[in-house]
Amino acid sequence: MPRQANAVDFWRGFALVSIFINHIPGIWFERLTHRNLSVSDSAELFVFLAGWSLGLLVSSRSAATNSALLVFRLGGRAVTIYAAQILISSIALALLASAAYAFDNPLILEWHNAAAIFQEPALSHIGLVLLSHHLGYFDILPLYVVLMLTAPAIAMLDRFARPALLPLSFALYFAALIVPFTARTWPVEGQWFFNPFTWQAMFVLGFVLSRNMGVGAIVRRHIDGIRIAALPIVLVTAVMVVWNWFPDPTALPEPKLLFLNGKSFLTPIRLLQFLALIAVFSAIYGLFAPHVPWLTEFLSSLGRNSLNVFCVASVLSLVGQIIRYRYAASFLVDTVVVLVGLGLLWLTATVSEWRERQKSQS
Amino acid sequence: MARAAKITKLIRAAALLAIAQLASLSPTARAQTDTQLPTVPKECGEIAAADTPLPHGATALRERKQLRILAIGASSASMLGGARDTMPLLEQILERSIKGLDVEIINRGVSGELAAAAAERLKIEVALNHPDVILWQVGTNDAFAQVPVEEFETTVRDMLQWLRKHNVDAILIGLHYMKQLAAHEHYQAIRASLRRIVAEEGVLRIGRYESSEILARTMREEGHPEPSTFGLSEGGYNCMAQYLARAIAVGLFAKPTPKPLP
Repeated sequence: MPRQANAVDFWRGFALVSIFINHIPGIWFERLTHRNLSVSDSAELFVFLAGWSLGLLVSSRSAATNSALLVFRLGGRAVTIYAAQILISSIALALLASAAYAFDNPLILEWHNAAAIFQEPALSHIGLVLLSHHLGYFDILPLYVVLMLTAPAIAMLDRFARPALLPLSFALYFAALIVPFTARTWPVEGQWFFNPFTWQAMFVLGFVLSRNMGVGAIVRRHIDGIRIAALPIVLVTAVMVVWNWFPDPTALPEPKLLFLNGKSFLTPIRLLQFLALIAVFSAIYGLFAPHVPWLTEFLSSLGRNSLNVFCVASVLSLVGQIIRYRYAASFLVDTVVVLVGLGLLWLTATVSEWRERQKSQS
Repeated sequence: MARAAKITKLIRAAALLAIAQLASLSPTARAQTDTQLPTVPKECGEIAAADTPLPHGATALRERKQLRILAIGASSASMLGGARDTMPLLEQILERSIKGLDVEIINRGVSGELAAAAAERLKIEVALNHPDVILWQVGTNDAFAQVPVEEFETTVRDMLQWLRKHNVDAILIGLHYMKQLAAHEHYQAIRASLRRIVAEEGVLRIGRYESSEILARTMREEGHPEPSTFGLSEGGYNCMAQYLARAIAVGLFAKPTPKPLP
């Protein structure tokens, strides 16, 4: 039996739906996602909850006893995510090639960093396998793979040197912002869209805050006070986003990355606003969930099967982009794209859970 | 396929020849002419770009002998040209054309990105990298994503004004030419919008669409097979790098248009 709807699965499902919509640039429903009122967006939520899930896994009874088994399980999870990235990248390339042929438009072969694959397949395929070449909008799973590869180290630090985990993570975070540095792409010269050296802080925060000990326990003890302090941050940053009241980046003091709003480097304003946002919104799940059971169950089922749903959502987003190119975009086309997409995401979650049930019965 | 490969080879050979000619100038000749305007091989067709001055680039050249170019927008690597693991062709041509000039190219393109997202990032990249010139490949993704023309126009116009205020020259690289897209209403509307912006804001635009269209027509008239995927090959990218090098070199030395009397 799948686990019951809960806040973590619900918000993860919420992040997945937001990612699906936001990855169809220009779609009408994009204006309804929370990034229109928030400095941070669904990417922060996705990575934070990935860290949270790691925390739950590490604190589970089965993982608590055997460190070697835990490291093996986490490594296996990284391999699964890696395989998913390779699969969806291949499907995306086939979709682009099919669309280019079907619509007699070779320009589609250049979409989303695919040009290198079609023009220089030898090196670019090496890049795909090494995760140094990412297709546009297919760049968050490579980050997730790297984070899961570090998960055994995070789990072991948590087990044997817990007080060092958060300081080490923040030391790397601030070093990457101050120096600054990031991961490079290859063979197309560039940078990772999600800097793994800074985004690891979000993952570790998710991990640490999920635990009922250390920082996680302190936050739980003082959550009411934290929410009161967080609310003005959420409101002020919402106003800043709506009116685009951000300081001119050129006028900021050095090191600028500490002060400006940048997604690639997960700058402090995004991190802080995200923490404020989850402090406030963690209170509301219990208030509305009983009143909208269909929504709670729908989003929770997506969240329970997050990797499968994420993969299908990524591919469907690309399909949505192709459909919007082919048929002049309108509210009707956008509505059909979103409704069919959400239906297929639900089907993905349902089939995944059905398969799990079959496996457990056999 | 074989035709495309042949065209690519021809363009590459022409580009190398142009570089070799510049490099082989005798010391006397080099002393006499510090600058040799880069040529565009005829295989690339005529460059469609006005002689628009790049005043901030010219200041950088005069004061620092250095030009910092930031490339942004979809497939920005594609406009820089050159073979893998070598200096971009654009950098090679500019450094060989303008004696003593040190060119630094920073590529911050994100493939598939719309103008609005690129503009948001561009401000950050300007703050972090202090470029003198921006190469912004813009329009194709917005056309495909059916971004409303007014929204696109406001985004690009605001960004160009912001860049001017921050002493950065902008060069826009317009939409790709594709015969099949001649009747695509939104594609052509975005293209017209870009031309309007350029005319009103007085920035340099590389008219890739027009250049490729003329080239395709010429080849057709001369009885040669028309390159069906021009711009989507190494040869096409090298042509773009050569257009850009030519336009930048001209822009660095072009006299600023006198301001009208009040």
